[in-house]
Amino acid sequence: MKASTRKLILPGTIVALIVATVILAPVLPLQDTRGMDIPHRFAGPSAAHWLGQDEFGRDVLSRLIWGGRASLFIAVGSAVLAAIAGTTLGLLGGYFRGVVELFTVRAAEIILCLPPLLLALLVVTILGAGTWPLILALTILYTPNYARVVYAATQQVRGLDFVTAQRAMGTHPLKILVRTILPNVLPPLLVQMSLVVASAMVIESGLSFLGLGVVPPTPSWGLMIRAARGAMEVAPLLLVWPSLALAGTILTFNLLCDRLQSALDPRAVTAGGALWLRPRSREAKKPVTPVAAPAEAPLLEISDMSIAVHDMELVRRVSLTVRPGETVALVGESGSGKTLTGLAMTGLLPDTLRVTGGSAVYTTRDGTAVDLAKLDEEGIRKLRGDEISMVFQDAAASLNPVLRIGDQLGEAIQAHHQISGEALQKRIVDLLRHVGIPDPERRHRAYPHELSGGQRQRAMIALAVANSPRLLIADEPTTALDPTIQAQILQLFAQLKKDTPGMGMIFVTHDLAVVAEIADRVTVMYAGEVVEEGPVAEVFARPRHPYTAALISSVPESGAERLTAIPGTVPSPRNMPTGCRFAPRCGFATAECESRSPKAEHPAADRVTRCFRWENVT
Amino acid sequence: MTDANAPLVEAKTLGRNFPTRHGLLGRAQDVWAVRDVSLTVAKGETVGIVGESGCGKSTLGRMMMGLDSPTKGSMSFDGRDLSTLSSAEMRKLSRRMQMVFQDPFGSLDPRRTIGAQIADGLRTHNIVPGSEVKAEVARLLEQVGLPTSAAERRPHEFSGGQRQRIAVARALSTRPDFIVADEPVSALDVSIQAQVVNLLMDLRRDLDLAMLFISHDLHVVRHLCNRIVVMYLGRIVEEGPAEKVFGTPSHPYTRALLAATPSLHPRDPSEGDKVLKGELPSPANPPSGCPFRTRCPLAEEACAKGVPPLSPVGDGWRAACIKAAPVAEGVPA
Repeated sequence: MKASTRKLILPGTIVALIVATVILAPVLPLQDTRGMDIPHRFAGPSAAHWLGQDEFGRDVLSRLIWGGRASLFIAVGSAVLAAIAGTTLGLLGGYFRGVVELFTVRAAEIILCLPPLLLALLVVTILGAGTWPLILALTILYTPNYARVVYAATQQVRGLDFVTAQRAMGTHPLKILVRTILPNVLPPLLVQMSLVVASAMVIESGLSFLGLGVVPPTPSWGLMIRAARGAMEVAPLLLVWPSLALAGTILTFNLLCDRLQSALDPRAVTAGGALWLRPRSREAKKPVTPVAAPAEAPLLEISDMSIAVHDMELVRRVSLTVRPGETVALVGESGSGKTLTGLAMTGLLPDTLRVTGGSAVYTTRDGTAVDLAKLDEEGIRKLRGDEISMVFQDAAASLNPVLRIGDQLGEAIQAHHQISGEALQKRIVDLLRHVGIPDPERRHRAYPHELSGGQRQRAMIALAVANSPRLLIADEPTTALDPTIQAQILQLFAQLKKDTPGMGMIFVTHDLAVVAEIADRVTVMYAGEVVEEGPVAEVFARPRHPYTAALISSVPESGAERLTAIPGTVPSPRNMPTGCRFAPRCGFATAECESRSPKAEHPAADRVTRCFRWENVT
Repeated sequence: MTDANAPLVEAKTLGRNFPTRHGLLGRAQDVWAVRDVSLTVAKGETVGIVGESGCGKSTLGRMMMGLDSPTKGSMSFDGRDLSTLSSAEMRKLSRRMQMVFQDPFGSLDPRRTIGAQIADGLRTHNIVPGSEVKAEVARLLEQVGLPTSAAERRPHEFSGGQRQRIAVARALSTRPDFIVADEPVSALDVSIQAQVVNLLMDLRRDLDLAMLFISHDLHVVRHLCNRIVVMYLGRIVEEGPAEKVFGTPSHPYTRALLAATPSLHPRDPSEGDKVLKGELPSPANPPSGCPFRTRCPLAEEACAKGVPPLSPVGDGWRAACIKAAPVAEGVPA
């Protein structure tokens, strides 16, 4: 059983109990709800009357159960009827739009203009008090709510590709509505349902309270509350029972609908929750004392770094060196751990992930060596943006949409420098000009949405180089761009490298051709491990790991009749092969590969490969 | 049925306008996503459409599928004009045209099993009798290289490449003659991309499909397509056999696109200044005359006079440029 299904048991049982009790009311050994016992009016709980007796000496427990029968029937009945009517209107209006929308959703919305209680009063006055008129009144009242919710959800879903696919397949529109769209709008519908049941109960008791709902002496929770209110000073407990029943039932329904919603979602819900509820990392990070770095030290030296979530290793023993002025490309497929490695260098790993081993020694501007993997938040914040900065793939999502580009740049500069006014303004304009944004004097006042995709990426780069960092980490910075714009941005990176000779760059990408264009050295990652490393030209000319070789030949550039596809898929971190992680997909694999992990081999002085059979690869 | 050489799909001077209104009382402004596009696809032929985002290639694909109706011009499939068909006839005809989408995560219904989704097409069009649906789903899954046990599972249990195979299986379920593939491999990893490209090539060979392959990846298009159409700002700027268009491109935009495509074998860095300047103009406010003239390295006064017509450069090869001429450069190795 799935965890989400298990969570249904508790609210499900309670609801079942409540429903069973009210349905079985006629056969339960309850006392007569109308049997008066005036001498014992307002008597407290006793063995004969568990919850006491009311103002006419009637048994409160049996009135509560019979009252629940009336209240629940009205509330759930009207919620379900309104759900059916509203969903139909919303689905039709949201899918067909145009005239249909006018006659369904918009027409239903007229009801929203009327005060709800007044509308209910109107219906009940015309049809007379009683259970059915009340259900009708509540159904009319809640239909537009459902219609609106379903309408909005339908509009969202109808544009998705799988609905278009159904249309392309020639499926009848009504069938699409029922089979494809309805299941996908259910979650908001369920939330709405739980709200409506709750609110219908409240209105039912309100109307009964006014004498327009259930007719006495038939009990209902609303009537009971009304009667108890009159006798509040004498017997306050009488008010407590129906109120508790009402509140408890409403809460249980809400819980059930919430849990039902997550149970209906086929995707596993990730464990989340508030930040302070999550398990803290076991060894809290402490400030580290900086040590003087040896002369000639590389800018960044990652050795044997591992990153894990709980006990699942996502990145295993990665080593990487960046020298000043060097561009290292980190290549791999999705799930290879290349982005995590980049994020770890800026201390921006998601909260659930931790660096579990190894070190990442960074040499700062003033010549001290710090281990980024052990640095606390305070220490890494001083470096971030100033010494180490990052360019993300999706500039549209990474820039703040409500702040002007210039202000965002100013913020980044002021985070590390005491500068303001004219000087700051000049610096911002210079930066924007430097990254090739035309007319920077005016454009710095633009909001991110006013810039095109390429310009936004330029602004993003300006933000990253605002404080002339010594290490720039670019995570797929050109992937979302068109070819001609990508060429412009790559050219910009090349220009930046030329202008700031000491700056090292880690360029995370999945595109081998981009690597060939921009990088000096390349590190190939597969399933969380570095499989090959070396100078770009050498690695591409003669790859020494079967994975690199396969990647290169799967690029449709060679003019071969058939592309070399790597069979299978990247293994999931839960289910890693025991030996070499590439062995199950490798054409060179032997029995040895499947049993042992290969050690790092050095085919040449500055090259590394993790393969037993590297000599046979090319 | 018309004769064997007639194109299966034919678009005649297609245009699609999306009028937009600025502000509450603003005047509606014409935004032509596609303008004046004429295109044919024959059986067994794969036509590649390349261009940058916003050039109208996806809109064109949707119109050719009959999912969107053109503002101007007409679309015909197997000799029948799509605009004259009733919606029931259109649904019936759609058995013969299918689509594969870009996003393998969005194109499958997350709440239904793979088998049920593939079976939809089989049941809608009664491809096989009800009792054989299960066997047919298994056959389709095998055809795209997935285990038959996949039918019982839901989309989230599959990787991107596998989902794209499922989407292909779903498209094949109705035994179509024509498939529109809108960026089917751009969301996939390189090694997986090759699997899907190979699959599409096999299917084209085995099933004699007509295919419209929309992509911005020139390498993939060149590998897969017989004929290539280059679009810029809603118009076709060059069209012709793949080896001609990419081998000796005759329109300056095609040349720029090729030069901008990164290659495993980088060109001489001295050629770096060939990078195209500027960005795609807004389709709401296109330049007068040739749409490409604002970014074109060869532009001159005459280019502003009028939109250059698509004129023949060679056999089955046309380009819309007054200076069109085949140039053997900028070829990705």
